[in-house]
Amino acid sequence: MSETTPDTEARRLATEARDRVRFEEDALALADQVYRVARHLVGSRDEAEDLMQEAYARAFRSWRSFRPGTNLRAWLLRILTNLNIDRGRRLQRTPGMEPLEEGDYFLYNRLEESTGDADEERVVERLSQDSVVSALSAVPHDFRDVVVLVDIGDFSYADAAQILDIPIGTVMSRLHRGRRILKQQLAEEAVSPA
Amino acid sequence: MTSFADDPCARCEEVLQPYLDRELDDAERAEAEYHLSLCSYCRKRYRFEEHLRRLVRQAAVVEMAPELKARLAALRTPLH
Repeated sequence: MSETTPDTEARRLATEARDRVRFEEDALALADQVYRVARHLVGSRDEAEDLMQEAYARAFRSWRSFRPGTNLRAWLLRILTNLNIDRGRRLQRTPGMEPLEEGDYFLYNRLEESTGDADEERVVERLSQDSVVSALSAVPHDFRDVVVLVDIGDFSYADAAQILDIPIGTVMSRLHRGRRILKQQLAEEAVSPA
Repeated sequence: MTSFADDPCARCEEVLQPYLDRELDDAERAEAEYHLSLCSYCRKRYRFEEHLRRLVRQAAVVEMAPELKARLAALRTPLH
């Protein structure tokens, strides 16, 4: 059995303090990236800011459960998405599984048809950043979470599955459906008469 | 599921999103790239999807308020 002397205890505390400071610095350095994802997971800036503070407070409290060398950004976002779910945001029902447009090319095809032009530059110009922001906010939460993590957070399917604690197959199906809904929204906005 | 041999454009449409997500294995990626190098119909749509991804990413660029950064830093454990 090892003996704890005042010296070894002091060394242990010093090491722990150093590890904790490093963890906190690393977590804060990622705050901009975490916020970017958080801002699109919830409806308003105020909600995103509250969520960030709660998530960081929890992360700083439970820093010992983070395994150094693993993905800290994913770890922070897992805390944040769990808090977001705990806050009851999931009370919003996921809409029914009504059929969506067939095929991934439908948005391009629809825009090309309505533009009457096969020049892809002209087709692309029909979409604006504003329309993308508003279309994204119209995607139901369960699907939006995955789209935001993969398309904005640049996480792999496996990381997104770990963050949201869902199977990878569910990530893929929600991503597929979330992107289709996003495109449907964009098509409605871009093609509908002004 | 279709294959590149049966219906190359339909298969390309199926794998385009995982291709852009860098989630295809080497053989699938090579097949998709080969098809895209030959087919202007799919290539146009591929470029469009790439552009849409960029738009989504750019649209997501939001700056965190400096006050929030300060509030997060204040949550750190005080040093004794």
